[in-house]
Amino acid sequence: MRPGQWVLLTYRLPREPSSPRIAVWRKLKRLGAAQLGDGLVALPADARTREHLDWLAEEIVEAGGTAGVWVARPATLAQERDLARTMAAARAAEYEAVAAEAEGRGELTEAERRRLLRRLRGELRRIQRRDYFPPPQRRAAETAVARLRAQDDTERTEEHTA
Amino acid sequence: MKWATRAGIHIDRAACAWLIRRAVDPGAEFVFVADPAEVPADATPFDMRGAELGHHGGDCSFETVLRRYELVDPVLWRIAEIVHEADLDDERYHAPEAPGLDVVLRGLSMIGDDTHTLAVTGPVFDGLYEYFHRQLTLGREPA
Repeated sequence: MRPGQWVLLTYRLPREPSSPRIAVWRKLKRLGAAQLGDGLVALPADARTREHLDWLAEEIVEAGGTAGVWVARPATLAQERDLARTMAAARAAEYEAVAAEAEGRGELTEAERRRLLRRLRGELRRIQRRDYFPPPQRRAAETAVARLRAQDDTERTEEHTA
Repeated sequence: MKWATRAGIHIDRAACAWLIRRAVDPGAEFVFVADPAEVPADATPFDMRGAELGHHGGDCSFETVLRRYELVDPVLWRIAEIVHEADLDDERYHAPEAPGLDVVLRGLSMIGDDTHTLAVTGPVFDGLYEYFHRQLTLGREPA
């Protein structure tokens, strides 16, 4: 087995103004990129991640910075595994937060429960979009959110049989 | 005219090609390249890094094409919101259609080459255009 391909973004942005720096940081966070160093982030390479980093590089250059996109392979499997573990741990924490919110609800009105379900589904989808190495917590969060929905189904079935 | 874009097309490039043919150049001919250096000298590049018709100021290439050619059709701008969210997923717009369209386009791109993807996604965008055109005319969801 050999390490897989990764796409790296190297970038440098002026300190001021700070808004482009914040915009780039937000986008990297949304993509779930791993921070390898100062101005160096990585994602497993596929058509989508490559494209996202390409456009981010373009945006950085437009904001007066410098940026480069590289396709690279970790030199050892161990190094890749460490990286994958770090990324999986970051997602696991996000899934746990979703599961806790879904389960830790106290008494909710019907409207509140539906609102919570809608919000958590969106949150779950956003996390899944940046989940490259699914941790076991993914399934747990899906189940917890599905349980919020299940109450809908139960009620409907009861109406049916009544 | 000749137009060039990156090979392995997905939503933004498929939508741009459809838009170019529909509103800019009915006789458009498309070539797909692996590297910006391979763009033929007589071709206009789009949705590629360094191209005028690319992502700029937070816009996706579809929005850039609309601006560059001063296309003000509100139906095209409604489609632009969906393409933007399917491509960038940055929640700039409320476009609940985007995740669905994204999956449809990804799937279609898996069953053929880029020329095939353009051929089969054309009617998808034609249909979206018709739907939002009717919606805008009626002022409600068309039946």
